[in-house]
Amino acid sequence: MANNHKEIVFGLYNDEEDLIRAVKEAKTAHLDIYDVFTPFPIHGLDPVLGLEESRLHIAGFIYGALGTLTAFLGMTWIFTKDWPNVFGGKPYWSVPAFIPITFELTVLFAAIGMTVTFYIVNGLGPGVVNQHLDDRITDDKFCLAFDKGSVSEDKAVSLLKQTGAVEINHKTL
Amino acid sequence: MNQYIFTSKQRNVLIGAMGIGIISMVLTWMNDDAFHTRFWSNFLHNSVFFLGISVMAAFFMAVCVTAYAGWHTTFKRVWEAYSSYMYVGVFFMLILGLGVYMHWHHLYHWADESLLDPNNPEYDKILHGKSSFLNKNWYFFGTIIVVGSWIFFSRKFRQISLDEDKNGDTSYSHHKNLKVYSAIFLPIVGFSSAAMIWQWVMSLDSHWYSTLFAWYTATSWFVSMISLTILLLIWLKSNGYYKEVNDSHIHDLGKFLFAFSVFWTYLWFSQFMLIWYANIGEETIYFRERYDNYPVLFFGNLIINFLVPFLILMRNDTKRKFGSVGLVSIILLLGHWVDFFLMIKPAALITANHALHSLHSGEHGAEHAADPHAAHGAEHVSAFVEGFTLPGLLELGTFLGFLGLFLFVGLYSLSKAPLVPKNDPYLEESLHHHV
Repeated sequence: MANNHKEIVFGLYNDEEDLIRAVKEAKTAHLDIYDVFTPFPIHGLDPVLGLEESRLHIAGFIYGALGTLTAFLGMTWIFTKDWPNVFGGKPYWSVPAFIPITFELTVLFAAIGMTVTFYIVNGLGPGVVNQHLDDRITDDKFCLAFDKGSVSEDKAVSLLKQTGAVEINHKTL
Repeated sequence: MNQYIFTSKQRNVLIGAMGIGIISMVLTWMNDDAFHTRFWSNFLHNSVFFLGISVMAAFFMAVCVTAYAGWHTTFKRVWEAYSSYMYVGVFFMLILGLGVYMHWHHLYHWADESLLDPNNPEYDKILHGKSSFLNKNWYFFGTIIVVGSWIFFSRKFRQISLDEDKNGDTSYSHHKNLKVYSAIFLPIVGFSSAAMIWQWVMSLDSHWYSTLFAWYTATSWFVSMISLTILLLIWLKSNGYYKEVNDSHIHDLGKFLFAFSVFWTYLWFSQFMLIWYANIGEETIYFRERYDNYPVLFFGNLIINFLVPFLILMRNDTKRKFGSVGLVSIILLLGHWVDFFLMIKPAALITANHALHSLHSGEHGAEHAADPHAAHGAEHVSAFVEGFTLPGLLELGTFLGFLGLFLFVGLYSLSKAPLVPKNDPYLEESLHHHV
């Protein structure tokens, strides 16, 4: 399985503005960026990287609609067919009383569905150990990484140096 | 073009709209019942609606300043202009207040003081209990004091903002001053707007009350204000003004439109469900009347003011594109106007019919049946009676007239100062606003 290993060369920056400049440089030099890692979301980084808009919210809408249907149809069935009960003299099929629960299940389905989808798409989850390039990218360093398989190491290193990376490291993932 | 020019063509269009409004109101007056109920309820409806929009503009400016928000700074002159309508709006409310003294109209059941006399066979204990708040003096002088205080603050905001253009410096003393006034204004407008809504709108159903009503109504005002802001900004941009206002500003306004439409629905439903669940006759009467006699508007209200903005504005790009957000703004402006129709019209008709009924039965009962307008509202009637259970052309004409006046005052005020303020500490942030 040696083919699955990736030889990564990456640079660490002290400032997000440096990172954005470096990404722009890499784009103009037509270097294929493996990934960038930042401690927090950076405004304006997505368009520079040319990332498409996430489709997670579309999934969220579908999960939410599923929750709406589950709650509404579920309660309809329970309160009219399965176990009809009279509450406070109201009809069996009391739509206003269903609305709060419908709302709650909509939110619940959307929230859980999106979380699970997000974890699966990003290969995260309990018990999963992900290798990462450097611990400090979760703290105060901004990382731009190249895959040596698709970008020549020299070009990558020179670009990282040129754009002010404070550290340049290599790692095999 | 940093200076808006109010051209004579625009003036004429707005004066034309006002003319339509005056003609509609005259026609309504001429074809009305003995108390001119349709005229007065339309007058109250539009006066309250547009006065509320201008209050909300001042309120939201104060919110933004207090919350250290900078995104709105480029177009804050639009809100200053909107809030200047309060000078005119208070005048209409005072006509209504004077009408309570002079018995020009019979909109408010509590205005009939004979009901407060324990010796009267029609003595009304509930209204007697409420009479320390629901009385003509509170209505008239409360309006003067409360709206007067709103005018005082919005005038201050405007003065400080204009002075900042001329004399502002990097000590930002103007902005600090503005912050103090905003912070004082917020609790005042928060509590007093509720009192005024009770007085102007909720007391039409004089036996009924709901603690949620003021929030619900104020949210209706707020959504209308955001709609009108979006529409005016789009219009100004299409005329070459406000190059500084970009789609991110519109996006933020669209978010407020979306969020407060959902909040409005939340309040609407909270009020409805609690009353429905408790099922106490004194409370359900409000919805019973509207559900039975106004079914089109009752459900249409929810579809227009909740489903339309919820489904259309849910996506990111529909809040940014002028076409979609503008369309939703038009729908919501009319939708919340209809919402006010539904708050005001049924109650006003019941009260007026009650008064008409006793008037007619006191004189000659036979003519009561012949009066074509006397039956609406109180008894079960068709759901499609123009001007009564549905807004008719005269109602729309009146709306156009008030809208014309509102925009005339607003645009006149807008033309008196540069569109983009100078020396505001948040101006740079607003110019580079990007979301």
